[in-house]
Amino acid sequence: MRRYALPILACLLLAVLVLVGILGSRFTVYITMRVMILAIFALGYNLLLGRTGLLSFGHAAFYAGGSYGAALFFIHVHRHPVLCIAAGIVLAIVLSVIIGFFCVRHTEIYFAMLTLAFGMMVFSLIWNLREITGGDDGLVGIARAPISLWLISIPLAKPAHYYFLVLAFFLISVGLVYAIRQSPLGLILSGIRENDKRIEFAGISLKNYRLAAFVISGGFAGLAGALGTFLNSNTTPFSAHWTHSAEPVLVSLIGGIQTFLGPVAGSLIYIVLREIIERFTQNWMLWFGIILLIIIMGFRGGIVGSIAATLGFKSRPAAQNEGLPA
Amino acid sequence: MEKRGITRREFVKAGLLTAAAASLGAGVFKPTGLWAATPTIKGPIKLGYQAIMSGALAGYGEFHKMGVQMAVDELNADKGIAGAKVEVEFRDSTLKADEAIKNARYFVDSWGADFLGGIDSSGQALALAPVMAELDRILMVTHAATEKLTEQQVFKNGIKQVFRICTPTYQDGNAAAFVAKDLPAKTWATISPKYEYGYTCWNMFKETLGKLKKDASFTAESWAPFGTTDFRPHINTIMDAAPDGLYSTEWAGELITLVKQANQAGLFQKIKHVMFPVGAAMDALEGLGQEMPENIWISGRYFFLYPADNKNRAWVAAFKSRWNHFPAYVSETGYSTLFALKKAIEATGSKDTAKVIQALEGMEIDTPAGKRVFRKEDHQAMYDVPWGLTKTDAAYPFKVMGKQVMVRAKECFNRPPFEGAGTKPPF
Amino acid sequence: MLQSIVHVCLAGLSIGMFIWLVASGLTLIFGVLKVLNFAHGTFYMLGAYLCYWILGRMGENFWLGLIIGPLVVCAVGFVIERFFLRHVYHLALPYQLLLTFAFVLIFDDAVKILWGAGSLGSPSVPGLSGSISILGRNFPTYSLFIIAVGPFVAIAMWAFLEKTWWGKIIRASSSDRDMAAALGARVPALFTAVFVIGTWLGALGGGLAVPYVGLLTPGMGEAIIIDAFVVAVIGGLGSLKGAFFGALIIGLLSSFGTRFIPTFDMFLTFILMAAVLLWRPQGFFGEAK
Repeated sequence: MRRYALPILACLLLAVLVLVGILGSRFTVYITMRVMILAIFALGYNLLLGRTGLLSFGHAAFYAGGSYGAALFFIHVHRHPVLCIAAGIVLAIVLSVIIGFFCVRHTEIYFAMLTLAFGMMVFSLIWNLREITGGDDGLVGIARAPISLWLISIPLAKPAHYYFLVLAFFLISVGLVYAIRQSPLGLILSGIRENDKRIEFAGISLKNYRLAAFVISGGFAGLAGALGTFLNSNTTPFSAHWTHSAEPVLVSLIGGIQTFLGPVAGSLIYIVLREIIERFTQNWMLWFGIILLIIIMGFRGGIVGSIAATLGFKSRPAAQNEGLPA
Repeated sequence: MEKRGITRREFVKAGLLTAAAASLGAGVFKPTGLWAATPTIKGPIKLGYQAIMSGALAGYGEFHKMGVQMAVDELNADKGIAGAKVEVEFRDSTLKADEAIKNARYFVDSWGADFLGGIDSSGQALALAPVMAELDRILMVTHAATEKLTEQQVFKNGIKQVFRICTPTYQDGNAAAFVAKDLPAKTWATISPKYEYGYTCWNMFKETLGKLKKDASFTAESWAPFGTTDFRPHINTIMDAAPDGLYSTEWAGELITLVKQANQAGLFQKIKHVMFPVGAAMDALEGLGQEMPENIWISGRYFFLYPADNKNRAWVAAFKSRWNHFPAYVSETGYSTLFALKKAIEATGSKDTAKVIQALEGMEIDTPAGKRVFRKEDHQAMYDVPWGLTKTDAAYPFKVMGKQVMVRAKECFNRPPFEGAGTKPPF
Repeated sequence: MLQSIVHVCLAGLSIGMFIWLVASGLTLIFGVLKVLNFAHGTFYMLGAYLCYWILGRMGENFWLGLIIGPLVVCAVGFVIERFFLRHVYHLALPYQLLLTFAFVLIFDDAVKILWGAGSLGSPSVPGLSGSISILGRNFPTYSLFIIAVGPFVAIAMWAFLEKTWWGKIIRASSSDRDMAAALGARVPALFTAVFVIGTWLGALGGGLAVPYVGLLTPGMGEAIIIDAFVVAVIGGLGSLKGAFFGALIIGLLSSFGTRFIPTFDMFLTFILMAAVLLWRPQGFFGEAK
C-alpha cells in the first residue's frame, strides 16, 4: 500500500488543483494562483535555504528580474506569454549569476547582508530608471495574449484559463525541485550544509555549488515573477524590495525548511491566513505577528515538519539546529 | 527504508494540503452571491473601499473612513440609495499594487461589492484599471492623482469603469503655474518627492509656467526619497541656489517635517514665494499648527472653508461634531463618492455597471466641495479648488487660507484628446 | 561656497549621529548575542511614542519623557529576550530574524491602536528649539545638541565596556561564550542585560528623534532600521567603534550626495555596503580574523 501512497496522493493533489480551476469561484482561482506563484518562489528559494543553508535577503531582486524581464519583452519584442516568461527567467538567471558571483564568497550573516545590499541596489535601479521601468508606477497593461502554437491558439485572458498555465508551471517546478533534490547536485548541496569542510576535502568547489544553488533558486524566483506579472498585468518596484525578499523566508520557515513540500504548505498558510484575518480586522499585522510568534515558538520544524514529527514520522534532527548558520 | 520514509512523509504533507485546499474551496471562499448579477435594485448596495491603513500614511486611511462612514450612516438613516440599504467594507490597500488588485477581487468576487472606491497611490490606480474592466465594476478614485489614469486608461484605452472624484495633478502643477505667473518671482526651484507624482507635477508646473511667463527659469531640483526624515541637505541645495520661489509637492508627514526643518534653517525668510500644492491638506495644517509660516501659497483637493456656502458649512459642522476633526480632503472625496453613486443609481434606477457609467458621464452633482461635473471623455470630476495664502485665524488652532486665487478647473485641467495643440493650458 | 560646505557637513554630522544612536544598540546586541534584531526599529518607534506620551502627561517636560520613556521600552525588551528570543538562540539564524520580525508587525499595529493612525506632531524642546547663525545661515540648536550627544554616548559606552567589570564580562562573552561561562559569568542573565541595554539605546534614539523629525508615525522604525543595518555592516558587524565611524560616513555621504547629485539615493550607500562586505567583511574598523 505504501508504495502507492505517493503516486496516489500526487494524483489527488493534482485532481484538487484541477477541480479548483474548473469549479472554483473567480476569487478562489485567483487566490490559488497567488499561492502557487508564491510556492514556486519559495520552493526554489528553499533549495538555497533548506538544502544549502544560505539565508538570502535579496531574492526579491530575481523575482523582480523575472517580472520586469517578461514585461519589457512583452512591450518591446513579442507578446507571446511563454516567450515573455522565458525572457523573464533568462533575465533573472543573468542577474543571479552576476549577484551570486559576488555573494557566494560569504556565508551566514555576511551572505545575508550582501544579498540584502545587492537586492536593494536592484530595487533602487528599478525605482530610478524611469524611462525603462516606469519608476514607482511600474509597467502597466501587460495583458495575457493567447498562446499560439501553429494552428491552435489557447486563450489566457480569463483567470480560469490562465490558472492552468500557472498550474502547469507549478507542477513543472515541483517536479524539477524534487528532481534537483534527489540529483547528485542536491546531495552535494545538503552535504555542504551538513559539513562544508568535508565536502571541500572531497575536492568539490564549494563556491561553484553554492553559485549553482543560488542561480537555480534565482531562476525559480524569475519564473514566479513573470507569472505574477501576467497574473496582475503589471510590474511594481516593490517586488524587488527587501520586505518582499522576506516572504519566501517566512513561508519556508512556516512550512518547514527541511521538508520538500514545506514551502508549498507555508505559502498556502501565509496567503489564506492573511486573507482570513483581513475579514475580521484591519489590524491584520497584529494578528499575523501573533500567529507567526506561535508558529516560531511552537512549531520549530515548521508546520509540515512538526506534524510529521508528532505523527511519528521520521524527521531528521538536522531540521532544527544543525548545518545552518546559527 | 529511506524510500518508504519519504513516502510516508509525503503522505501526511499531501493530505494536509488536500484538506486545506478543500476547505479553501468549500468553506472560506463562498461563491459569489446570485443577487450580485441581478439588474434591478434589490438587497443592499455594497461599496468596497480600500485605502492606506498601515504604516506612516495610515492617518489618511482614517480620514477616508470618517467621510465614507458618515455618508453611509446619513444615507441609511434616510432611505438608503433608491430604497436599498448601503453597506461598506474597508480594507488596507498597503500602497502596493498587487494588494490593491487582491482587495478589489475580494470585494467583487467574494464579498459581492457593487462599487469600489478609495485608492491612494498612482501605481495602484493604474494597475487596477484593467482589473476593473475585467470585473466590470465602477471604481471611484478618491485620492490618487496621476493624470495617466484618466488620460490613458480611461480616455485612450477606453476603460469606462474608472472615475475620479478628486482633482488630479493638474491642480498641483498647472493651477500652481497660473498662480505663479502673477507673482514677482522669476527663478523657481523644487524639493519634491522622488517618485512619479513629484516628477509629473514639477514638469507640469515648469511647462505651463514657461508658457505663461516667458522669463521664468527653473534653477534647482532636489528629490527627496519616500520616507525622508531629514530635509536639511535638500534645504541646503535650495538655499544655495537662492531662487525667488520654491515649489514643493511634499505632502503628509514629510511636508510637516520639511516645513519644520525649513523654519529652523530660516528658509522662509530668504525665499519669499513658496507654493505647497498639498499644503491645505488637513493633516499638514493641523500637524504644523502655528509653525506653518504666514503667506505661503497652499492648495489641496478640497479645503474645508471653501466654498463658503451653507451646504459646505453645515457639512463641516456635522463632520466636526461627529469626529472632532475638520474634514480632510479624502474625507470629502470619500463622502461625496457615495452621493455621486446615489444620484447616478437613482437616475438610472439600477445598479447595473453599464447604466451607472452612462448616468455618471457628464453628471452634475452638488457636493460639500461645490459643484462637480464628471467629464464624459475621461471621467474626471471637474470642480474648483482655490489656491490661497496662509494666515492666522483666531477661530482655528492652525493656519487657514487668507487671500484666495481661483484657477477654474476648465482653465487649468488638460483637455481631451490630451495630445496635440490646445489640449494643455493655457488655452 | 564655504557657507554651503560647512552646512552640508553639519547636516551630515547630525544625520550620522542620529543613525549612530540607533545603530549602537543594534551593534551591541549583535556583538554579544549574535542576533540581528529587526525589532530594533520598533524599539526606536516605541521610544519615540512613549517619550511623547509621558511628556504629555508630565507637564510637557521633554527631559522627563526622555528618561522614563526608554525605561518603559526596556521592560518590553526584557520580555522579548527573556520569554521569546532566549528560546531560539540555539536555532538557525532565520528563526531569530523571523521572531524579531513578528514583533515588528505586532508593535506597528499596537502603536496604531494605542495612539491612533495619524501622525502626531511633536513638542519643541525648551532651550533647544531655536537656531543659531553659522556663517550667515541658520542651523538648528537641537541638531548641534545631537552632534554632541552622539560622541558622548560613544564615550560612555566605551568607558562602560573597557573600564567596568560588567563591561569586561560582556566583552569576554562576545568573543567566547563558553569561556565566559566557564569563568563563572551567568551568560543567560548577561544576554538579557545586554539586550535590555541595546533596547534602551534604540528607544533613546527614538525619544531624541521626536523633536528632530518633528512628527511621529506608525511604522517610523522601518526607515531607520535599514540605515542602521548599513552602518552596522560598514563598521564591521559587532564593532561599536566601526558603527560610530560608519554612521559618520553614511551621514556625510547622504548629505553631500543629496547636495551635489539631485537624484541621489540609497543606491550609493548599498554599493558601499556591498563593497565593504566583499573586500573588508570585518568592516572598516573591525579586526581581521
